[in-house]
Amino acid sequence: MTRDRARLVVPLLLVALALALLLATAKGSVPLPFRGVVGALLAKLGLPGDASSLGATGETILFTVRLPRVLLAALVGGGLAVVGTVLQAVFRNPLADAGLLGVGSGAALGAVLAVHFGLASTVFFALPLAAFAGAMTAVLAVYFIAGTTGRSGLHGLLLTGIAVSALAGAMTSVMLVATEEFRVKTVLFWLAGGLEGRGWTHVQAGAAFVLTGAALLLLLARPLDVLSLGEEEAASLGLPVRATRLGLLGLASLVAGACTAVAGAVPFVGLMAPHALRPLVGPLSRRLLPAAFLGGALLVVLADLGARALSTRFELPLGALTAFVGAPYFLAALRANEGRG
Amino acid sequence: MSAPEVLLQAGALAVDRARSRVLHDVAMELRAGEALAVVGPNAAGKSTLVQALAGLLPAAAGEVRLAGRPLGEWPRDARARTLALVTSREEGLDSLSVGDRVALGRYPHRGPFQPYVAEDDAAVARALARTGIAHLAARRLGTLSAGERQLTTLARGLAQEPRVLLLDEPAAHLDVGHQLQLFRTLDEVRRTGVGVLAVIHDLARAAAWAERMLLLHEGRIAADGAPDAVLASAAAGRAFGVKIRGHAVPGVKGALYSFEPEPPG
Repeated sequence: MTRDRARLVVPLLLVALALALLLATAKGSVPLPFRGVVGALLAKLGLPGDASSLGATGETILFTVRLPRVLLAALVGGGLAVVGTVLQAVFRNPLADAGLLGVGSGAALGAVLAVHFGLASTVFFALPLAAFAGAMTAVLAVYFIAGTTGRSGLHGLLLTGIAVSALAGAMTSVMLVATEEFRVKTVLFWLAGGLEGRGWTHVQAGAAFVLTGAALLLLLARPLDVLSLGEEEAASLGLPVRATRLGLLGLASLVAGACTAVAGAVPFVGLMAPHALRPLVGPLSRRLLPAAFLGGALLVVLADLGARALSTRFELPLGALTAFVGAPYFLAALRANEGRG
Repeated sequence: MSAPEVLLQAGALAVDRARSRVLHDVAMELRAGEALAVVGPNAAGKSTLVQALAGLLPAAAGEVRLAGRPLGEWPRDARARTLALVTSREEGLDSLSVGDRVALGRYPHRGPFQPYVAEDDAAVARALARTGIAHLAARRLGTLSAGERQLTTLARGLAQEPRVLLLDEPAAHLDVGHQLQLFRTLDEVRRTGVGVLAVIHDLARAAAWAERMLLLHEGRIAADGAPDAVLASAAAGRAFGVKIRGHAVPGVKGALYSFEPEPPG
């Protein structure tokens, strides 16, 4: 792969993402005409555009249902892909994912607690907030336990992450069993991952964390690359290894927590996007992070579109769809994995 | 002419690892342009010494001075511009290109945020040329032989443009041709005034290259001096548990060595 071809990756992904966003906005149980969608979007941005072919109902669907959902899909996909890119570099493992730090299991526990105590149905936005709090608690617990047991190295973090995840998973099971039946479905829907019924509040919350976090991580691209050389070499190059790792993993956890809070579990996106793009643009974070963000956004926008298109009586959960694609990809990558990425 | 400046100096240095002391009372110095080999049997503390000299392990007692200033007082980036460490334990990602890997050696010069400038590109090009791997610049690490990877790590160290170069088993994965290339490169670097300290497993190779040799045994310096004298010493025989003999061969520079098992008793 030459550098010139590598430079084409980001523009191509941008074009593909724009087309996918448009397609995902137009398609749905009520199809909207492309021209009307484009016209309405242009008009909304204060540009000359004609939304008349949409009609008042079409416009309402576009702006209150379709657009926030599609934008949220892009944000969640981009955020998870950035997190995956960072974790794969920090852990020097091309198959690392946000699950390592206990984000997913912590978020699940937070969500089930919010539902169990009835907060989710009475307090606005309580479920995503509780999921986010759960994710952050799990991450902090991993750090704290790894630190106090003198295992704050990579291996210690990894093993502590597994233990904390298992504990949170057990507590989630207990809470689920103890929750009244009519509420259980809310949790199950959330656990399955999906974007149904998400609105602008979700988009705003997601954007605040994902875009800020991704921008800061891009700013730290060079320290991340130095860290990916391994602890000893990074330290010999003058990098404060512990502090850098803490900062990078902290930012990644915030982004992953926010994504999981607004969309539930959307597995394998953080693994697939950077893993598939690394051979094309190389592993330097300055190039891989933007490409992975776009790739992850594209992936989830298309997956959500697919989930809606395939659904008839009930909606196929988004997380299940990404897992159906991601798990075989993961297994194929494992087979082909020639080494350390 | 006065002796070259002492660049790196350890005094009464002790280092602990996992709560047990692995280095005791080490005193040594490395001068500008000097070739110093560190030898010793397995688990003698050679890698620990190198890491302590590089500032990656704290001193439990005593101290290390870099260019006259205690190592602990050096800001990290300034230290990494002055002293480079090259090991055979490198862990770069397989998909990283050789050129990008070597360019990360400029990190101490530019830090996290400053963009690389022409000076950095020139330093990287010089490092690639000096290690003889300029033609591999666009290749990915995963496609290289172990020897080529090792030379890439050395090139990263040279791109730092240090005054002190510490190497831990730099020839570990190299065939004889690449070994000669490596030591020729180190000699070229020394001629620019860089002090080079290398842990070398192969005693004959160490004696052929070094001006001075440091023998470590059970965490202490057992001998320090000219390579031939160190290898001829009783301490060397004790440390390795073998009989070391040097042979002068006409037409060959330096002695050739043979090693025989120590007779029991």
